Amino acid sequence: MILDPVFEALGAAALRIAQEVGGIVVMTAQVVRALVPPRIDRRELVKQLYKMGNRSVPIVVLTAFFAGGLMTLQTGPFVKKLGATALAGWGAGYAVLREIGPILIALMFSGRVGANNTAELATMTVTEQLDGLRALAIDPVRFLIVPRVIAMLVMLVALTVIGDLVALTGASVVGRAMLDIEWSTMFHSFADNLRPYDFLHGVYKSIAFGGAIAVSSCYFGVTVRGGAVGVGRAVNAAVVAAATSIMLLDFFLTYLTG
Amino acid sequence: MSQRIANIGEAVVSAARAAAELWMVYISTLAGIWRAITRRKAGRGRPKGELVRQLHAIGNRSLIFIVVTLGFIGMVMTYEACLQLSRVTGDYSQVGPQYIRLVISDFGPTLTAMMLATRVGAGIAAEIGSMKVTEQVDALRMSGVLPIDYLIVPRFIASVVMTLLLSTVACLVMYGAGGLTAHYSFGVNLNLFFDVQLVRMRHVVMMIVKAVSYGAAIPVVAGFCGLRARGSSEGVGWATTAAVIGSSFAVIVLDFAISAAALFVTGGDL
Repeated sequence: MILDPVFEALGAAALRIAQEVGGIVVMTAQVVRALVPPRIDRRELVKQLYKMGNRSVPIVVLTAFFAGGLMTLQTGPFVKKLGATALAGWGAGYAVLREIGPILIALMFSGRVGANNTAELATMTVTEQLDGLRALAIDPVRFLIVPRVIAMLVMLVALTVIGDLVALTGASVVGRAMLDIEWSTMFHSFADNLRPYDFLHGVYKSIAFGGAIAVSSCYFGVTVRGGAVGVGRAVNAAVVAAATSIMLLDFFLTYLTG
Repeated sequence: MSQRIANIGEAVVSAARAAAELWMVYISTLAGIWRAITRRKAGRGRPKGELVRQLHAIGNRSLIFIVVTLGFIGMVMTYEACLQLSRVTGDYSQVGPQYIRLVISDFGPTLTAMMLATRVGAGIAAEIGSMKVTEQVDALRMSGVLPIDYLIVPRFIASVVMTLLLSTVACLVMYGAGGLTAHYSFGVNLNLFFDVQLVRMRHVVMMIVKAVSYGAAIPVVAGFCGLRARGSSEGVGWATTAAVIGSSFAVIVLDFAISAAALFVTGGDL
């Protein structure tokens, strides 16, 4: 048959995706099981919290500032043309808090922290350090993966909260500098049109994004095969999986909760 | 105190050095393209068929990824916009025209490039980084081949072409997905939604400028990170991470710069 190679390729892709999704689900189950009873290596947790959270602040702040500024740049001229500058903060703030803020911060977090985490775990795997831990009767999931998953979940939420604030500041600064919208107009526009739920909507999305980034980056880190080439490929697979799951989760969370 | 100042100084110096190196990679890539066009040093440039292979790897193999992610984000954007309008005015007539204007002039190319920065940027850095740490890059240099001509130029050309094409596809997918969401979730008339009255030539020009700039930035940043890889597997991991973060950030900064420049060029009427 002329179509045989097509079907073969489709089947191979489906099998590969099924294998990866299954592996990620198994890893999630292992992490959850390791949390009951919660015995976490506290030193490792604090180290990861610092490394993943505090050291990501500069890149998140920069990203959020530009993202907020961009939203004003895109909505501002239209709002000004209609003479409704009181609505400038509505468009920019709504887009930032609910969509652009959490998504862009999660993508940057996945690039900086998720990819880094995959690289680290993958290097440990190819240099057989995980087998070393097992030989010492230390469970790698409990010792290495659980602290990382918790750190990523906590820190992405914290960074999203900071990022939202910075993005709104960025929106105001760009509005003032490029479109002559007064600070007070922008502030009142935010205060009148945005509700607490808009902010919370972005925050609970970031919990889901953090979970997805954490589990996929750990999974691709520990299942790596073969040397330096394998490490690069694992990092690539991890960021692609994280980006895809961020977009899918975003859709379902928006659709289900409105 | 003096230790702290020394640390800051060291960080500044290494950042400046990295920026200079990045600039050199960019200039060498442009020079490599010039050499490839004028066919100087014929036979020493890239291997035969490499450009086609890169076009396939960067473009065709990203297509499904781009269509899925951008389709979903298109649905989310119209859903959010309609939801917000339904609370205020309930007038959906402006959603479609405004949406396509925003998609063409900003979201389409930028989000496509963000996705490509993760997929293509990480791929390029991983590949070149592994070649660097296994000393294949040095071997190239020893055989009288410029690594930038051989490795980065084909990826650069492929990335510029494919980012432009994928951005176009992404705009169409986002528009279609958004229209169907608005129609089935909020009952917006499809004829009313698929109305391109607000799209001007300048929006299309902006999309092309943005897509080409992102397409040029991603392989240069990623290739630079790959060529800087040191050590073994750990170095490759670091290089890949740096490539993802560097190229994503480059996309955001370029987006901001181009949008701001367009605002000044068009005199506040974006």
